[in-house]
Amino acid sequence: MGSPNAGKSALFHRLTGTYVTVSNYPGTTVEVSRGRAVIGGREVEVIDTPGLYSLLAITEEEKVTRRLLLEEGVDLIVHVVDAKNLERSLHLTLQLIEAGMRVVLVLNMLDEAARLGLTIDTARLARELNIPVVGTVATTGEGLDLLRQVIAENVRVAG
Amino acid sequence: MSASQAEVVTYPEPIEKALAQITTLLKGSYGLSPRTVALLLLQDDPEMHDLVKEREGSTYQTIAAIIDRTRETLREPVDEAVPVARQQKIAAIAAAAVTETAPAGAALADRISRLMMNPWTGTPLLLLVLYFGLYKFVGGFGAGTVVDFLESTVFDAHVNPWVNRLVDTYVPWAAIRELLAHDYGIITLGLRYAVAIVLPLVGAFFFVFAIIEDSGYLPRLAMLIDRVFKMIGLSGRAVIPMTLGFGCDTMATLVSRILETRRERIIATLLLALAIPCSAQLGVILALLAGRPAAVLVWAGVIALVFLFVGWLAAQILPDERPTFYMEVPPLRLPRLTNVLIKTYTRMRMYFLEILPLFVLASVLIWLGEMTGLFAALVQAVAPVVRAIGLPDQAAVAFLFGFFRRDYGAAGLYDLYTAGQFDGVQLVVATVTLTLFVPCIAQFIVAIKERGARVAFGMFLFVLVFAFGTGYILNAVLRLLGVSL
Repeated sequence: MGSPNAGKSALFHRLTGTYVTVSNYPGTTVEVSRGRAVIGGREVEVIDTPGLYSLLAITEEEKVTRRLLLEEGVDLIVHVVDAKNLERSLHLTLQLIEAGMRVVLVLNMLDEAARLGLTIDTARLARELNIPVVGTVATTGEGLDLLRQVIAENVRVAG
Repeated sequence: MSASQAEVVTYPEPIEKALAQITTLLKGSYGLSPRTVALLLLQDDPEMHDLVKEREGSTYQTIAAIIDRTRETLREPVDEAVPVARQQKIAAIAAAAVTETAPAGAALADRISRLMMNPWTGTPLLLLVLYFGLYKFVGGFGAGTVVDFLESTVFDAHVNPWVNRLVDTYVPWAAIRELLAHDYGIITLGLRYAVAIVLPLVGAFFFVFAIIEDSGYLPRLAMLIDRVFKMIGLSGRAVIPMTLGFGCDTMATLVSRILETRRERIIATLLLALAIPCSAQLGVILALLAGRPAAVLVWAGVIALVFLFVGWLAAQILPDERPTFYMEVPPLRLPRLTNVLIKTYTRMRMYFLEILPLFVLASVLIWLGEMTGLFAALVQAVAPVVRAIGLPDQAAVAFLFGFFRRDYGAAGLYDLYTAGQFDGVQLVVATVTLTLFVPCIAQFIVAIKERGARVAFGMFLFVLVFAFGTGYILNAVLRLLGVSL
């Protein structure tokens, strides 16, 4: 999950091979999509959610995502953020950690951030937040292998 | 992992105290840490309050008292203090992990982006996009070249005569012959509409739309149109469902749930049902009007006027909750051809799989209607209305089709047009009326689901009356002025 237009659907497509409409337009995903992916030799269910800025939900789409979080007992949250808007996105990351969720932070659109002159020290960020951090470019697939590996290491073993 | 959660962010003293008290009181399980539940309660989250009231029973009163007390001791509101504390923590993290250097090469995209959003430069840009993207490509290439070829060369000259002959030779029963071929047959009408008229037009539209969508132009358009939208009681955020409506109104009606107020959602749903043609319809309408620039202007002008007028009217009638607008503008990107093609293909396939059975079903229904005489009776019933707006009786058929599917109706008009049944004025009146005319069944069902049956049926009636009313007035005015388009 993550804020609108962070690249959740593009990443979902990369992980599961299931196509969901991907567009350069905040708020395109209004319903939850589910797909399966084999990661680290295990089959996991991947859920793509509508955008969410904060756990304090305002719009209907945000409520959908929050309810999902509350009711489904999610094993691992992959929080996708637009690396260009890191600061604003971290609000949700902190809230998720605070809520006791297992979180992996994905800095997507790293290429565009680099073009804007932003360099992000993922290792340092991971230390500060005390969670795994992976940098990706979902449109080209960069960083996806590392993400799969991190997901495999962090998905709670069933039971 | 749970051990570290308390230290993520430290809030001002009174909030921390309240959090400590509330977390010890919470007994239920919420799928969230108690600290988060307490924070949401302090920030007056209604859903969480309901949940806690339900699960904690009488303890809820104690919690509510703590919340009230905290609010009194704290100088600023809780829902300001919490994000501020969080922001401080984030700033510290970001300072440690992010280094910023002067951007290189972003200046050009930035300048284009500003040009797109400035009313003086943005409006001509929008017109250029509409002219080349829609009128020239969808109307000109899609309709003129591709549809013309499929229609006249493939179906009219080869497929249809061949099917008709085949059926006449091998099928002894007249009823079955009519079901498969001739005027309203599954192959000669249903399949032809789907393959030869609607699919290429929709495909061309999807292609252009995908490019526009991926470039990041739409959110900029939203910023541009925000002011106009405020006038009619919608925030710029409503541009999202509106522009998506040009793709598919059904999907857009679903997306309108991202609007914050109920009022906005109702206005948006109404405008989608009334004044926003979907891609299929738009494609066929552009095809109908191609080569008549004056007719396109009249059509677009009337639809825009209706859009503004009805939006404004609805905003006056519905109780006011002021919409606020916040949307982030993503960067401009050069669309990736592969993504554009995949998207166009996926949408075309989904669309085609959706319409094919429906078009076939429509043919079957019409055939049933023909056999029982019901269809003729319906056409008879609609004919006076159609005549009242100055159209030939046969147009009644297209409007009946339109009840079923917007695109089917438009394709029906296209058929009449190529048969030379319309003059310029009739063409404009017909396209305007059909554009405004009732939503397709799928959109109607979604409207019922999202907005409730009462609202949806009210809209349906309103749209029906309004569409023919507008057609009537437009016809009268155009005839009175003696214009020929």
